[in-house]
Order: sequence, then C-alpha cells, then structure tokens
Amino acid sequence: MAQSLETNGRRLPKRKTTRYERKKELIAYSFLAPNFIGFAVFTLLPVLFSIFLSFVKWKGGSFDSMQWVGLGNYAEIFKTAKVAEKGIGYLFTKVDLGIALKNTLFYTLITVPMTLVCAMALALALNKAVKGAVAFRTVFFFPYVASMVAICVCWRFMMMKDGPINQLIMALDGSFNKSWTADSTMAIWSIILVSVWRNMGYYMVIYLAALQGVPQDLYEAATMDGANKWQQFTHVTLPQLRPTTFFASTMLIISCFKIYDVVKIMTEGGPGRSTKMLVTYIYDEAFSNFNYGIASSIAMVLLVIVLIFTLIQFSMEDKYANN
Amino acid sequence: MSQIAQSNAGGIRPNHPALAVVGRVLLYIVLIAVALFTLIPFVWMLSASLKLDREVFSYPIRWIPEIFHWENYSLIWSKVPLLNYFKNTALIAILVTCIQTLTSSFAAYAFAKLQFRGRNTLFICYVATIAVPWQTYMLPQFILMRSMGLYDTLWAIVVLQSFSAFGVFLMRQFYQGIPTELCEAARIDGLSEYGIWARIMLPLSRAAIATLVIFTFVGTWNDYMGPMIYLTRDVNKTVQVGLQRFIQENSSDYHLIMAVSVCSLLPVSIVFLSLQKYFIQGIATTGLKG
Amino acid sequence: MKKALALILAMIMLLCTASFAVAEEAKTLTVVAWDATTTPYLVAQKEAFEASHPGVTIEYVDVASQDYAVKTTTMLAGGDSSDVFMVKEITDLLNWQAAGYEEPLNSYIEASNYDLSGFAGIESNYAVDGEQYALPFRSDFWVLFYNKDLFDAAGVDYPTNDMTWEEYADLAEKLSGDGVYGTHYHTWLSAVVNWDVCDGVNTLIDGNYDDLAYFYELYQRLEDAGACMAYDEVKAAGLHYSAAFEDGNVAMLPMGYWFVSTMINAIKDGTCSFNWGIVSVPHKEGVAAGSSFGNLTGAMINAKSENKDLAWEYISWLAGEEGSIATATTGTRPAWVSETVAETMASADGFPTDDASKAALVPVYVGIEIPASEHSSEISTVLNEVHSLIMTRECTIEEGIEEMNERVADILG
Repeated sequence: MAQSLETNGRRLPKRKTTRYERKKELIAYSFLAPNFIGFAVFTLLPVLFSIFLSFVKWKGGSFDSMQWVGLGNYAEIFKTAKVAEKGIGYLFTKVDLGIALKNTLFYTLITVPMTLVCAMALALALNKAVKGAVAFRTVFFFPYVASMVAICVCWRFMMMKDGPINQLIMALDGSFNKSWTADSTMAIWSIILVSVWRNMGYYMVIYLAALQGVPQDLYEAATMDGANKWQQFTHVTLPQLRPTTFFASTMLIISCFKIYDVVKIMTEGGPGRSTKMLVTYIYDEAFSNFNYGIASSIAMVLLVIVLIFTLIQFSMEDKYANN
Repeated sequence: MSQIAQSNAGGIRPNHPALAVVGRVLLYIVLIAVALFTLIPFVWMLSASLKLDREVFSYPIRWIPEIFHWENYSLIWSKVPLLNYFKNTALIAILVTCIQTLTSSFAAYAFAKLQFRGRNTLFICYVATIAVPWQTYMLPQFILMRSMGLYDTLWAIVVLQSFSAFGVFLMRQFYQGIPTELCEAARIDGLSEYGIWARIMLPLSRAAIATLVIFTFVGTWNDYMGPMIYLTRDVNKTVQVGLQRFIQENSSDYHLIMAVSVCSLLPVSIVFLSLQKYFIQGIATTGLKG
Repeated sequence: MKKALALILAMIMLLCTASFAVAEEAKTLTVVAWDATTTPYLVAQKEAFEASHPGVTIEYVDVASQDYAVKTTTMLAGGDSSDVFMVKEITDLLNWQAAGYEEPLNSYIEASNYDLSGFAGIESNYAVDGEQYALPFRSDFWVLFYNKDLFDAAGVDYPTNDMTWEEYADLAEKLSGDGVYGTHYHTWLSAVVNWDVCDGVNTLIDGNYDDLAYFYELYQRLEDAGACMAYDEVKAAGLHYSAAFEDGNVAMLPMGYWFVSTMINAIKDGTCSFNWGIVSVPHKEGVAAGSSFGNLTGAMINAKSENKDLAWEYISWLAGEEGSIATATTGTRPAWVSETVAETMASADGFPTDDASKAALVPVYVGIEIPASEHSSEISTVLNEVHSLIMTRECTIEEGIEEMNERVADILG
C-alpha cells in the first residue's frame, strides 16, 4: 500500500495555487468532510487523548485531579525497579504486564500460522473445481459472521467436562478429565481453537481470490518442466501468494493482539493468570482498579507493538514492489 | 525452473487416473470433515435449543433430540423483550451501514482520484487508527460522547461505528483499481466530480459496497462492548447485550440460552447468505487480498 | 479552514439538539442499581417511597450485576448526572470518593438531625476521614441454607446454630450420594474461604493468608468425597448458586442473606417446592458460634446530581426505619435494625417458621468481607486469580498461599 501511495500521490508543486485549483481542492475536501469530521471527533481525538493519559496519574473525576508523572506509569507497569534487581525473568514470570505480554505473544504466534495454514489449505482444495464449492465456502466462512457472545458460550459448554469436545478427547485419552477452560495449559488452547475456527474461513476467501490471480501459464510452464504437484506448490503457488500472506498475517497479528471478547467469555483470564491478555489487563486496570493512567500506558505498549508489526508489513510490501 | 526439471524423478504423475480418483475422494473427505467441525457449535446450539434443560449435557451426547421441544422458542419471547432488542439493533445496524457506506465511498473517492494538500498524511492517519485497539481510547471517547449528551441514546452507537477508518480504507483500495482514464473521459464530457462519483464510481463498486455492507452490518449487529457501555435503559438495549443479560439471569437454562442464541444469529445469517455472492467478489476485487 | 470549522460546529450542534430532545421530567429521581427488575427489595422500596412521597417517581437505571463496577465507573467518569448510585462494594465507594464523584453527607446529616444509632456502627465503613459518603440500607451476612426435605429423607438431624466446620463437613458427607450433594460452594473466593475473617482478627487485606489453608483443605476434602459439585464444572457451566440449590439435590448452601428473598420468591412462583431453613454458618474451634462475615450495600448521592435535596430525602428514607421495613418485607436484611424491623424480617411471608431460622437472624459478630483500603481492589484481583488456581488444582494449597502472600506483599510495598 505504501507503494500505491507513492505512485498515485503526485506531489503538488509548491507555488501559489490558482483559483481553479483552489476550487478543485475545495471539492476534494467536500468529499472528505462528512467522514473525516466524524472520524476526527470520535476516533482521532480520543486516541490522542489516551496518549496524553499515559503520562498522568488519574483516578477519574475532575480534570484538576490529574497529576503529571512523566514515565512513571511505564516504570510502574514494567516494575523496572524490581526487574533491574531480579533480572528479566522476573518480568515474564511475576509481573502482570510480562505475563500478559507472554500470553498474548504465545497466542498470536500459534494462532496466526495455524489460521493461515488452514485457510490456505482450504483455499487450495476449493480452488480445484470441486462440486459444491459454493456451499463449502459458505459453511467455512459462516463462523466469521456469527456473534461471539453466542458462539463462545456454546464453545465453553462444549469444552466442559461432559461436553461433546471433551467426550471426544476423553475417548482418545482417558486420563484427561477436566474442563478445558479450568486447566492452565488447555485454557489458552481453547481460545486458540475458537479463534482459528472463527477466522480461517475469512482468510480462505482472501486466498481464494488471490489464487484466481495466479497466471495459469506459470503452472503450465512448471508442468512442462516436469514439476510434480508439490514442487508446483512450493515454486509457483507459494511465491505468488506471498503478498497475500503478508497482508493476511499483518491483519491477523493485529487482531490477535486485540483479542478480548473470546477470553472474557470463555475464561475471564483464568485459571490464575494463564489467559490474561494485554487487553484484559487494560480493562481490569481501567475498570476495576480505576488507574486510567496505568491502563493508558499499557494501551500504549500494545499500540507500539501493533504499529511495529504494521510498519514491518508496509516495508516488506515496498521491498516486494521494488523487486 | 531448471531446478524443478532436475528433481522431477520421483514425482507423482498428476494425470494417473487411479491416483487422481483416490485424491479426489480424499479431498472430499477432508472437506466434509472440516465442514462438520466448522458447523459443530451451530449444530450443537440448535440441538440444545430443542431439548429439555437436563438433556443438554446427557452422556453420551445425543445430537438429535428425542422429542423436539419447539416450545422453547415460544417460551423465550415472554422471558426477554427480544423483539425490542431486535428493533434497536436493526435500527442501529441499518443506520450505521448507510452512513458508513455513503461517507466512506465519498471520502474514498477523494483519496483515490482527487488531488489535494495533505492527502497522504490524512490517509496515514486513517490507516494508523485501524491498528489501534478500541479499548485504548474507549474511555476518552466515552467522556466526549457523554459531554455531547449522546450517552444512553442509540445515536452513541451510530456515531461510534459509522466513521470507522476501515470502510474508507476498503473503498479506496477498490477505487484505486478503477482506471483513472474513465474519470478523465467523464470530466471532458462535462460531468462534475459529484456526477462522476454518482454515475461512474458507485455503479462500478457494487461488489465493494456489498462487502462493506456485510462487514458493517455484521460488526454492528455483533458488537457487545459498545452497547454494554453506552446503552443503559432496557428500551435501548441491543441483541448482544440482551443475550448476555439473559445468560446471566438464567444461567442454568441452557436450552433457553441456546434458543435465544439461535434467534440472535438469524438476521446476520440472512444478510450474509443473501449478499455472499457479491461479498466474495468484493473481497477479491478490493485491496483486501493484499 | 473556516468552512470546515463551521461544518464541525454545525455537526456538533445538530448532534446535541438531537439528544436534548430526550428531556427529563421534573420530580423524577434516577437511581442506578443492579438487576433492578428482578430484585424484589428494589421493587418494594420503590413502591413504598412513591406511596409516601406523592409526585416523586423513582426511575431505576438497570445495570447487569456482573458489569456493575465497569459500567457505573464509566458513567461517573463520563459525568453522568443520575441522582443516586447504589454502592455494591466498599472498594467502589472508596474509588469514587477519591475521584470526587460523591456528595459528602455530613452537612445533610447535621441539617436534618439524622439519627445514625440504628446502624450500630457499621455506617463507619462508608466514612472516609470522618466524612460520611453513603448510607447503608442493606447489610448481608452469610448464613447456611439447607433443604429440610433432603435431611428428612436421609433421616439426619437438621444443622444447628452451633456447629463446627468439621461437624458440617461430616454432615455433608453423610448426606451425599444418589445424585444428592451434601453441600454446594459457589465459585467465589468469599464462598470458600472468607470464613477466616469471622474471628474478628484476620482480614483479607493484611497480607498473611496462611490461615486460608484450613478452608481450602476442607473444601478439597468435600470435593474429593463427592460431597459437593466440582469447581471446574460449576465454573465452566456458569452455574448460578440459586439454580443449584433450587434444583433440590443440594442439601446445604453457605450463601449471603440476600438469597433468602430469592428463595421466598422461588417458592412463591413455583420454581421449586421443598422446605428450607437457615442456620448460622459453622464456626472454627475457638470462634464464637453465630459469627459470620458480610457486606454492606448502600446508596450515595452523585456530586453531579441536580436534585441533591430530593436525593438526600430518598437515601435517608431508604436507610432509615421506614425504608428498612420496606426492605425487610421482602426477606432482605436491612442495615438499620430496630425491634420493629427484626419483627418484620421474621414475619416476612415465606420466611421459614422454625425457631432456629429466627435465631439465625441475629449474628453475634459480623466481619467485613473485604475492608476498604487503598489497595483492596488490587489485592482482591490477586486473591481471585490465585483462588482459581487452587480451586482447579493447578497448584497445591501451599503453593497458592505462598503466591498470595508474595504478591500481596508486593502490592503493600
């Protein structure tokens, strides 16, 4: 996308604009205005305000009660004093932020590849002119439009000790005899499972679209060269899908870092802190401990991570466009 | 390609008939298995909604209820003001979808086809906020809405959802794909910019609009946090908040919970199924594929 | 740019006028409460207040109890002008006070010569530095509910007002089997180990949790013996304690006094139909029988309210004798207890008629569930997190308690 910005955004020369050009600009602004005003007031402004909040101590109430603390909130959430004393391991085993970061990263690192592999596999399968492709596609996509409240409750019931999913697992391994959500190791996997289940259909559609854009003659050339199916896949399909994979993985990473509702409904962050995520942590600090400053500073940590991933994606795309 | 040529020795011949049949059968088996896995929660939900309370967790599980208890569905209407929730949610979803589609395609046209100062900076602002989780600015946003007197009105959710950066991003990606020459030609024919947008861009972007409509409608319909925080009086509540309340108050009536859940899924399913043809086209033609 | 600015202003004005169309009526008092439509005492209070104050309407703003803290805090932070907010947890009150959301009440108390004696001192939990910020209208303490029919069927004597925890556990085990659970524990920390504060010495914020081991061990013994439903299942199913008890296969249930009114109603509307009673919760060896712990529920005036005098009239009525009688008629225990109020409580329609149940109405000591302090909410977050680990047996009781001690020490600095 960065590339398209460059090629299409012809720079305007720095000179006095003529009346005609001014009129043209006004027309452009008039197109923009309805959306931009709403966007600026209800999104941009609050975002900027929350950046400010991360530098103050504030328990709510009147604005007079705000106290400028500089980086104090950040020192507090990273427990810098304790970490300096006990080593970095302390951050990831004992500090709320470290644990939330670790859980969120673990969840993201498993969910993203799993979702993409499932999505790609389904897309490849459906791309082969199978009978009932439309029906399959609709079924696979359907979880994406279902409401999380209804679905998560349903999954939680199914993963109960006597629920159907557990009955299946217990049939395979008699020693597992617990609700998934009540087990420190399994709880996060239950969230991963639901996430993959929900997202794979969506990314499958994106892959399907991309697959249709792969030129047929590349395959023909590969077949002429005697490449087998697997080689065709690794040497033609995969490289051709790379931009899509980049895009999809960025979108997925962003949405994984923002995970909230699944956790809230399925495990409430438990047992212990085993499924505490960055966003659930923000939520707790803001709404049960009333530490708006602290909550905003955690939000900034999240924002920075997400922005880094976004920038990586943009620069990668740029590199590919240039090649 | 030369590498491939060298290593083809042990390759499976793609046109071997017997293998091809086995492959096909395997393919269908896998597809059907995944489809079943995808549908399990929905099937379970549906089946639980037609059972008696105590049958829901019977062991071993019975997928098709012995007796279909359709009365569960009539029972829930007297327990929750579901119709009212539906009305509110539908109102919000329709308003949001209209405002969102209209203003986004308007703004997207400017971003894609018009020249003005600050275009790139503004667009980056839009894109950057897609990456910001809502929870990070939920509170300032609330304070702002409150001071505007929007709290506990359906308008709060409407303005909250209507101006998302995502819509502009999606529509711009699509307009980018429409040749600029088309606009130039229209300009020469004497069409104003508004005319170009209305007569050329809009009709061409049917697929993209369908995509946006589904995303917006589904997103608004399924939103829980927004209505939970902004809507207070029972007359204003939406389906998701109502559903969550129902679950809390009737925590052990699993059959009824599932019946309400099934009802809450119906409208989105209808929108999705009726628009899905355009929708999938839309994803294919917008920049969403990367 | 001017044009754009004008547009913004016009847009904002448009939005504002649209919302002002929903104007408030005069003499309506908005009261923010949880589960307003399903809680009997709120309905009774509203009726009684409106009857004695013609022309005034109470309008409840209903919030789901699970979301109460989040929702009310957002409302207050956003400058909501609802007149009265119910105070669910003492920690909320403390946080709201620190943020300046609450109207100080001392001047009202002096001006109206309000008599605080009926509270017998518990109102001080709502005071900060000598200033009263809310009045309690409900004071729940925990009692032991039991299903008389199950005891009769098993031919076992009913529980008494003077039982040790061991006697209680033996009783629970004796009654279990054949699909009957001797007792039931809800998932909360308070339902399992809060008994520790009944001795009047321990609190849950003092940083030492070694004593909790006794109650966790007691719980695990009962769970292992199948004398209560396993925590895992109760949690995963989101099973509500009322559903568990009303099902009729649970013999005993330690629960807050508020459950009395739920039971009275459940019997009335036919949700369940067995005989039940209450007794004092069991006690540890060396702690006086009839000791319990509990919580206060109160009401505060929003500093942003535009009807403060009317709001004071309401909360002082609510917490005083008249309001307390209205509250007591539904089987809820008011914070203000005089003889008439006690009489009303025992004669509430549907309240068990046996003497033990009546005697259980007056505890000898009630500790506060979690006392208010600057760190209460952070400490309870930690305790609840570790609680879920111990209850799911993801760690041993010793490990869990060590973690509690360690992490709370961190918070206390």
